[in-house]
Amino acid sequence: MLWLKTLGAAFIISGFGLYGMMGARTISNRVKQIRNIRIAMGFLEKEISYLHTPLPLAMERAAQCTAEPARTLFYQCGHILQDKQGMTIPEAWTYSLEKLRSVSNLKDEDLEVLKVLSLQMGVSGLDEQKKLFKMIQEQLKLQEEKARQGVEAECKIRAYGGFILGTTVVILLL
Amino acid sequence: MGGLNDEAIKNHIVPYLSPVIKEIFLKMHTQYFKGLEEIRLRIGQPLLIKVGDRDYTLNKQGKLEDDLKRAYFVSADDIYRSVAAISDNSLYAFEEEIRRGFITLPGGHRVGLAGRTVMEGHEVKTIKDFSALSFRVAREIQGCSNEVLAHIYPRDLEPVNTLFVSAPRCGKTTILRDVARNLSLGTSRGRGCNVVVIDERSELAGAYRGRAQMNLGPRTDILDGCPKALGMIMAIRSLSPHVLITDEIGRKEDIEAVQECVNAGVAVITSIHARNIEEAQKRPLLRELLATGAFDILVVLSRSSGPGTVEEIVRWDSLCCG
Repeated sequence: MLWLKTLGAAFIISGFGLYGMMGARTISNRVKQIRNIRIAMGFLEKEISYLHTPLPLAMERAAQCTAEPARTLFYQCGHILQDKQGMTIPEAWTYSLEKLRSVSNLKDEDLEVLKVLSLQMGVSGLDEQKKLFKMIQEQLKLQEEKARQGVEAECKIRAYGGFILGTTVVILLL
Repeated sequence: MGGLNDEAIKNHIVPYLSPVIKEIFLKMHTQYFKGLEEIRLRIGQPLLIKVGDRDYTLNKQGKLEDDLKRAYFVSADDIYRSVAAISDNSLYAFEEEIRRGFITLPGGHRVGLAGRTVMEGHEVKTIKDFSALSFRVAREIQGCSNEVLAHIYPRDLEPVNTLFVSAPRCGKTTILRDVARNLSLGTSRGRGCNVVVIDERSELAGAYRGRAQMNLGPRTDILDGCPKALGMIMAIRSLSPHVLITDEIGRKEDIEAVQECVNAGVAVITSIHARNIEEAQKRPLLRELLATGAFDILVVLSRSSGPGTVEEIVRWDSLCCG
């Protein structure tokens, strides 16, 4: 019977441990995702300020040179606007942000930064648009920095925490 | 003048209207698309359309009404959504067009903009808080210039300097466009020649993102958005035209540029706003230009039998010498 108990304990500990490690990965993913969105914003800014590319096309181009899930945000928004079904930027952007929420590890505070864009994007002259995108990139940089600072400590807590919790459960069961 | 394909209006104009107004137009009887000239959207005012010479309003069911009370009233949201559609949600990409007061749609149709203007020095920097839109349907009627073409391009001779005298909405742009196409293509009277169209307001070629939407012929170069005076001199230096075509001259620099072109041996075909020659001659700059004999013929247009009616064709030598 001992081998069965040992096997069960190993399963429980590794299960909790894996769960903890997955949690840790979520945290490091958030940093990567914010960075990807920030880089795509930089691309979008250049498309707008140097090439005067209309937003729907600029969004699709930005989507092409970024990884998921940031791609979802830009592709979805660009696609809705290209369709010409009467949707405006605030509606298309808000809808795309909701999509992004469901497939990314971003926190509400990150999404709030992006939400600011919905009311200003595309509706003013070049200078204002440049300022807007610069500001958003700065804010995303801050979010990225904030996420990075917490990442090491939190990753350790989650990864070790999983194993410790698993061991505790095993002890209690025994 | 003739009509425009129903599908062209459905594909090139209707998609740029707000969803509510789009629905109204899709319910409208297609027979009215043929004569449709203008669509007017003003916040808080009835939705108005101009079919031929008559103004109508449209109700929610897409029926034409004379009674304004039964009209669909345009909301701020309609204007906002229409502006978003016209500008592709990218006003920054249309800064120059907005400064000039209109945006051209695919097909060459123009949307006039009204709202709060922002000034920079003595120039309009931009328009914001849009309050009204005026969709003007562009028409390309091939063959509408046949009557005047025999005078502009006499058999076996070079095209002659021509001035179209016309009040607004009498079809001068449509005729000028057809003249450009015919001269470029060549006619039974003569071979095709190099034509340069200086299209300061993107009306003649109806350029959308730099590409002409109207057929101006195989030997036509277009200087889109270029000020007329500058464009005429540029064209002489770089494009070796036989004929220069431009619309609505009137400023001092335009008059000087016309004179320059005529002296350089390039035929100039252009237009001015006036109901008749007497009215045109009341403008001092124009009177001076006419007195120099710069134009060989003057063509007066009206709407008496519909847009593009040629009221009279006057040879300048007959006018000044007897």
